[in-house]
Amino acid sequence: MPGAGQEALRTFYLIARREFITRVRSRIFLIGTVLLMLLLAGYIVLQAVVLNRSTATVKIGFTGAATALARPLQAAAGAQGTKIDASNVNSVSAGQAQVRSGDLDALVSGDPSGPQVDVKDSLDPTVGATLTGLVQQAALNQAITASGGNPAAIDAKVASATIHLNLLDPQAAMRTQRTVVGIFVAALLYVALLIYGQIVAAGVVEEKANRIIEILLSTVRPRQVLLGKVVGIGLMGFLQLLLLGAVALIAGTQTHVIDVPSVGIPAVLGGLLWFVLGFVFFALIYAAGGSLVSRQEDLAAVTSPITMLIVATYLAFFWVLSNQDNPLAIVLSVIPPFAPILMPARMATGDAQAWQVVVAVVLTVAAIAGMNALAARIYSNSVLKVGSRVKFLEAWRGAR
Amino acid sequence: MHHSYSLTSPLPSPASYLRAVPGTGLQIQGISKRYGSLVAVNDLTLDVRPDEVFGFVGSNGAGKTTTMRIILGVLDADGGEVLWDGSPIDFEVRRRIGYMPEERGLYPKMRIGEQLRYLAQLHGASAAQATAAVKLWLDRFGLSARTKDEVQKLSHGNQQRVQLAAALVFEPLMLILDEPFAGLDPEAVDSMSEVLHERAAAGIPVIFSSHQLDLVERICDRVGIIQRGHLIASGTIDELRGHGPERIWVDAPAAPSGWATHVAGATVARTEGSRVLVQLEPSGDDQALLQAALATGPVREFRRDLPSLLDVFREAMSESRVATPA
Repeated sequence: MPGAGQEALRTFYLIARREFITRVRSRIFLIGTVLLMLLLAGYIVLQAVVLNRSTATVKIGFTGAATALARPLQAAAGAQGTKIDASNVNSVSAGQAQVRSGDLDALVSGDPSGPQVDVKDSLDPTVGATLTGLVQQAALNQAITASGGNPAAIDAKVASATIHLNLLDPQAAMRTQRTVVGIFVAALLYVALLIYGQIVAAGVVEEKANRIIEILLSTVRPRQVLLGKVVGIGLMGFLQLLLLGAVALIAGTQTHVIDVPSVGIPAVLGGLLWFVLGFVFFALIYAAGGSLVSRQEDLAAVTSPITMLIVATYLAFFWVLSNQDNPLAIVLSVIPPFAPILMPARMATGDAQAWQVVVAVVLTVAAIAGMNALAARIYSNSVLKVGSRVKFLEAWRGAR
Repeated sequence: MHHSYSLTSPLPSPASYLRAVPGTGLQIQGISKRYGSLVAVNDLTLDVRPDEVFGFVGSNGAGKTTTMRIILGVLDADGGEVLWDGSPIDFEVRRRIGYMPEERGLYPKMRIGEQLRYLAQLHGASAAQATAAVKLWLDRFGLSARTKDEVQKLSHGNQQRVQLAAALVFEPLMLILDEPFAGLDPEAVDSMSEVLHERAAAGIPVIFSSHQLDLVERICDRVGIIQRGHLIASGTIDELRGHGPERIWVDAPAAPSGWATHVAGATVARTEGSRVLVQLEPSGDDQALLQAALATGPVREFRRDLPSLLDVFREAMSESRVATPA
């Protein structure tokens, strides 16, 4: 016969497996996960489209002698980040017709030293400034030659005169990206903790309401039922977040919305780690709360304080975000119950220091151990009490 | 019934590994349980032998369910002891008790086969044993075709069968069934009670509670009547029924009224047309009564009146009410 520890492990495995398999196989999980994945991918692609609009190409037609401007304009505008789609047009009238119809954004014609530019109602400012610069440069070169000077030597001299650029915040663009990702991680964890916590509480009440708990407890210890349920449901949540994280990384790589190696991967890994820690912590509280009531209708009354706590943590995140260096912000982000949302978000924004992460993990693991003992006690004392809601103190004392 | 099941099942004989010799079954010794000021079970003592079906009767709130939960270890008693084969019942024995709670306990959205296999494994069966046992019992109950259906899709009677199967699939040492027949049609009652008798014959004691006294009378080998947490009577049905005063129905159509009162120790309890129900004192002689009846003319009926279990139950309740003033 197997040892007691081995048998307990087998029981725990059986319970966790049932929770995981029956839920992951359910239609609501499959449809919900696919829908979330599509939404996330769609959101990232939408972001990419919005970002790309600023670097949209400008279609310009050239005709006659002005065609000589096409190549220099492309080069100069390209340096400014504007792509020029240049094309040759047979005549001015044909070009103007194309501008009117929207096939071209602008038509350049006439003398290259003073070209005519036809547009519908406005010219792209970069193109306008670049073209003006080119024309003025040509005029300047002509004037220098006319006065007996060497335009190339003067251009070189001019080019050597430069400003000295001092980058005060070279990571600003990166930081914006990190902040967006941090907000995203916090929001996702917030929703995941709330939803999966509720699923745990509802699962506890379900077993209590249909009395299967009596059959289970005749062969399994309450603590095993509690932990098996938390782990089984947690695995389902982990799987869902893993899929969402993978979708985010793949979509991010394809669209270049985020810098995947330096921002995306650490954010996803940090988010998953903290989902595990945060979920176990809150799920134990939800399970203990669920064990106090016998009907799903009464569940809201006991779970709302836990829900409020998670909502408060999420709201605190926005304060922390704009007060990163405030000592209170740092303290909040390392202590449970706030750490599971605040720390991964601060890790994603790049504000958390390594020692803060370590302290937060240690404190949260300790809190989970404490909560496990508390939740097991409350659960064991109240899960068989059917009828009106069990009072917290009664559940703690265990007078039955 | 045309089921292919036989008692020489492919499964190991129940309890074989825990019971080298036939055991003494279940003994409950003076258990008590209070909920605050409410006494749910009060010094209850009871034996259930390994080969019997024991019926537990009592009104609502008498303490039947609490007693069952204490045997299962789901509740702790405040005092007293539960013994199995002579030693205090432990977790290893308890996890091999087949239990059917009063309000049925199954996952409504889980498939029947998976659910039974899961419960069998939780009670200690290996995966292979569980699969074999689930097939065996679903075949037995004619539910093989429904193996992949969710429990909630079954009729009430079939859900009840699955619930009983859940108590049987791990080769239990003992069956504890709380109101197993509630809401069942007569056919389902028959097939279920057949299973219970079979199990008892195989050495697995069966304890069940019921409000349906006619059923208990028909199915049980022994009965315990519980009131306010105390066992007020127990014994075989015949013992309980024979416990009251001796009563005899006599039909002597030609007899003058009041003829029976001339017999020593006899009183007339009831008169129905020409039939009288005569109650005899312990000192009374039924042969003297018969002779007195024959002396009046023809006698068409002379029959001992055994009280029904319901009568016994009512009487026991009223006696105990007198004995233990509330």
